[in-house]
Amino acid sequence: MSDEDLAKDLGPLAALTIGVGTMIGAGIFVLPGVAIEEAGSLAVAAFVIGGVIALFTAMSASELGTAMPRSGGAYFYVNHALGPLFGSVAGWANWLGLAFASAFYMYGFGDYMSQIVGIEGTFGVGPVQITAVKLIALGGAAFFTMVNYVGAKETGKLQNVIVVILVAILTVFTIFGSLRADPANLPPSNGYGPMMLTTGLIFVSYLGFVQITSVAEEIKEPGKNLPRAVIGSVLIVTTIYALVLLIMSAAVPEGFVAQVSAQGETAVVEVGRQIQGTIMAGALLFGGLLATASSANASILASSRINFAMGRDNIVTPKLNEIHDRFATPYRAIGITGLLILVFIITADLRLLSSIGSALHLIIYGLLNIALIVMRTADPDEYQPDYTVPLYPIVPIVGTLSSFGLLYFIGGTAKAVSAALVVGAMVWYVFYARTRTEKQGILSEYILERSEEMPEPAVSAAAGVAPDGGDYRVMVPLANPEHEKDLITLASALAKAHDGTLVATHIVTVPDQTALASARERAHDIDATSRELLDRARENAETFGVDVETHTIVSHRGFEEIFDAARTHDADQVVMGWGEDAHGSPGRAESAIDEMTGDLPCDFLVLRDRGFDTERVLVPTAGGPDSDLSAEIATILRNEFGADVTLLYVADDGESAAGADFLAGWADRHDLGDADLRVETGDVEAAIESAASDATMVVIGATEEGLLQRLVGGSVVMDIVDDVDCSVLLAEKRTERSLRQRLFGNQ
Amino acid sequence: MNELFDRVVLPIASEDDAKATARAISSHEVGHILAVHVVEKAGGAPDKAGVEQREEAAEEAFGVLKAYFGEDADLDTDIRYDTDVADAIFAAADDFDASSIVITPRGGSRWIQLLTGDVALSLVTETDRPVVVLPDAARPDGGGESVDGPADDAADGAGGPERE
Repeated sequence: MSDEDLAKDLGPLAALTIGVGTMIGAGIFVLPGVAIEEAGSLAVAAFVIGGVIALFTAMSASELGTAMPRSGGAYFYVNHALGPLFGSVAGWANWLGLAFASAFYMYGFGDYMSQIVGIEGTFGVGPVQITAVKLIALGGAAFFTMVNYVGAKETGKLQNVIVVILVAILTVFTIFGSLRADPANLPPSNGYGPMMLTTGLIFVSYLGFVQITSVAEEIKEPGKNLPRAVIGSVLIVTTIYALVLLIMSAAVPEGFVAQVSAQGETAVVEVGRQIQGTIMAGALLFGGLLATASSANASILASSRINFAMGRDNIVTPKLNEIHDRFATPYRAIGITGLLILVFIITADLRLLSSIGSALHLIIYGLLNIALIVMRTADPDEYQPDYTVPLYPIVPIVGTLSSFGLLYFIGGTAKAVSAALVVGAMVWYVFYARTRTEKQGILSEYILERSEEMPEPAVSAAAGVAPDGGDYRVMVPLANPEHEKDLITLASALAKAHDGTLVATHIVTVPDQTALASARERAHDIDATSRELLDRARENAETFGVDVETHTIVSHRGFEEIFDAARTHDADQVVMGWGEDAHGSPGRAESAIDEMTGDLPCDFLVLRDRGFDTERVLVPTAGGPDSDLSAEIATILRNEFGADVTLLYVADDGESAAGADFLAGWADRHDLGDADLRVETGDVEAAIESAASDATMVVIGATEEGLLQRLVGGSVVMDIVDDVDCSVLLAEKRTERSLRQRLFGNQ
Repeated sequence: MNELFDRVVLPIASEDDAKATARAISSHEVGHILAVHVVEKAGGAPDKAGVEQREEAAEEAFGVLKAYFGEDADLDTDIRYDTDVADAIFAAADDFDASSIVITPRGGSRWIQLLTGDVALSLVTETDRPVVVLPDAARPDGGGESVDGPADDAADGAGGPERE
C-alpha cells in the first residue's frame, strides 16, 4: 500500500456514520416532541422538507468534496471559490454553528442523563440557580472536550458501533409501532405556517452530512465514497425521521405527545413506553444518551478541522493550529471550542441553541451552492470533480434559494444573533484577516481577469475586498521596452528590500476606435509582444531573487489604467517610467488625472530615465512625508547597489548654520547619518541643478501640491526634471485620506 | 565513528522532541540520518487531528532538525502513516537498513504515558535491531546534572571559603 492509501483509511461505512451519527442524535432524541406539538400532523412533512433542502446541498457539497478532498470541508470550498470575505463568514458560521449545535446536543444529553439517574430540579446558591439538565450538560460538554483534547482514538471506532445500535433500536421501534399505528390518532394539521417554522427549528437535525466533507482528506477513494456517504446519510436520516415521526403521531392517542411534553418527559421515550413497555423506553433512554453524546463528540472533532483550515489561510491566527506535544491533538482549537460550548449552554435555552445552529448552517449551505455555481462557471483547470450534480444548474440554484429561504422561518432572536455573527465575521475579515490572508477566491480572480467585460461595480467590489496578505507589492507598468530593464532593476531592488513581490504589468493601449473585444481577438500579436516583454521582466527580476507576478491589461486608457491596476493588484508601490513615449499622451485625460492623483492609492516612484547609474545619488530635501520616501529609496539604493548618497538642503540666505543642523538631524532620523551633507543657499532650483551635475541620479520628493498633478497637468513645469543631465527619480507617498474625505471629496 | 551510528533512524514526535533529539545527538559522530514522523491513524475512524495538519506539524519538526544539522548533513525525512507508531518506526528502519534507532526519552508522568501510550517502551521491547537511548541534556530526569548543575556550583562557590 502506498502512503496515500495509508493516510486515507476512512471506509464508506465510517464516513457514513460520521454523518448519520452527528444528525440522528438531534433529530430523533430531542426535537420530535416540540415538532409534533407545533406542527401537528405536518411534523412529518416538516422533517421531510428539511431533508429535501439538505439533499440539494448534499449534492453540491459532494461535487465540491470530490473535486477538493481537503481538510476543512465547507469552509474550504467557500473560501476557495468565493474568496476570504465569504470564507470568513462560512468559517465562523461553521465553527460557531457546530459549537451552538454541540451545546444543543449536550442539553439533550443532560435531559436523558437526568432521567436515567433521577436527578431533577434546580440547584444553586442565592441568585445563581442552575437546572439539573444544564448542570449535566456542562459536565458532559467538559467531558467530551477533554476526550478530544487528550485524543482517544478509540472514540472514533465507538462512533460506528453507536450508530449501528441506534439504527437497530429505531428499526425495532418503527416495526412495533407500525403495528399499533392508526390514522385516526393523527393530530390535526396546524397549517403550513407553523410547519415551516418547525422546519426552521428542526433543521439542526441536518447538519451532519457537511461534517463528512471536513474529513474528506481522510476518506478512501473520495471520488466514490464521499458522495455516497454525504447523500446517503441525508437519505437515511430523512427516512428514519419520517418513519419515527409518523409512528409517534399515529401509534399513540392524539394529544399524548403534548401531554408528556408538558410534564417534562421526553416524547420519544414515553411513546416507546406506551407502545412497547419499559424495555423499549429503557432502550430509547440509553439510545438518546449515546446519540446526543456521539453528535457532540463528532461536532467537536469536525470543528477542529475547520479551525485548522481557517488558521492555514490566516483567517484566524495559525497559533490555534498548534499540535499538542504529547497528545498530537489540536488542543488549542478544541479547548476554545469547548469553552464556547460551555458559554452557550449557560446563556441560551434549547430552542435558541437549535435555531442558531440551524441558521448558521443554512447560511453555509447557501454559500456552498453558490460556490458550486462559481466553480462550474469559472471552470479552472484543476477543478475535476469525480461526482457532478445532476440537473445543473437547477440543483445548486434550488439549493441556494431553499437554504436562504428557510432562514426566513428561523425564530426572531436566533435570526438576530445569526445576522450579528455574519456581520461580525465580515468585520473580522476587514479589520483582521484581510491584511493576513493571501488566498484570493476563484470568483474575484474570474472577475478581475475579465475586468473590461464585467460590470464596473462588480470589478471594484472584487478589487475592494481582495486580500492583501501583508505582502509588499511593487508594481511596474511597462510600456516602453527601452526603459523597461532599468525600471525592473529599480523595482526589484525595492521589492527585495521589503521582502515582497514584483508585479510586472504590461498595459496595452488601444485607440478608442478599436473595440476592446476585437483588440483581444488580435490577442496573438499582443500576446506575443506581451509575453516577450514580461518574460524579460521576469528574468531580470529573478536575478534579484524576488517573487514575480505578470499581468497583461488591454485598455483604451494608458495612464489612468496604471491607477486602476495599482488598486486592483493591491500595489504598495508603483515604479513607472516618465518620458515622451511612456504611457501615451497624458494631456488627453488631464481632468481625470487631477482627480486620481488627488488620491494616490499607493506610493509612486516616477523615473525619468537617462541611464540607470546609482553610483552617486543626490537627495534634495526640505523635510515632509514625500522626502521621507526619498530617504527610504536612497537607503535601499545604498544597500543594494552601494550608492554614495549626498543629502542637499537649500537654506535661505544667512541661515546656513540652522540649515546644517536641520539636515544633520534629518539624516540621523532617516538612518543616513553617514551620507555627505551639503547645505546651499540661494535659488532652490539653481542649487539643485548645480549639485546634480556631480550626481548620477537625483531622488526628489514631491511637494505638497502633488508631483504627478504638476507633471501631467503641465501647469507647473518641473524644470529640474528636464534641465539636469542625470536620471531623476520622483517620489510621492500615498495619500492617506480620511473616510469622510474619500466620500465627500477634499472640500 | 561508532558503527551503531552509521545509519540511524530518529523518530521525531514533535518540534520539542526534534530539539531535544538534536541536542542529544549533536555530541556524537553520526553517519546517515533518517528522521521519521509517524502520523498515528485511527484505522477506520476520524483521526485526532487532520492528516494535513499533522503533515504540517511534521514538516515544522523536520525543519528544526534541518536547521540544527545544516544544509550539508546527510539527513533524510519520512512521514509514515500507521495505527501503531512503533511498528511504523520499525518498518522505516527496515526500509532504511538502519544500524540503530536513536531515541530521547520524553519523560512525563505515568498519567501522560498511560494516555499517550508508551512508544519508547514498545520500541525497546519489540525491536529487532539496536535501540540507543540518549539522555536529553536539558531535562533533569534525562541528563541528570546539567539542570541542577549551575545551582550546585553556585552553592559550592559561596560555601568554598568557609570549608577551607
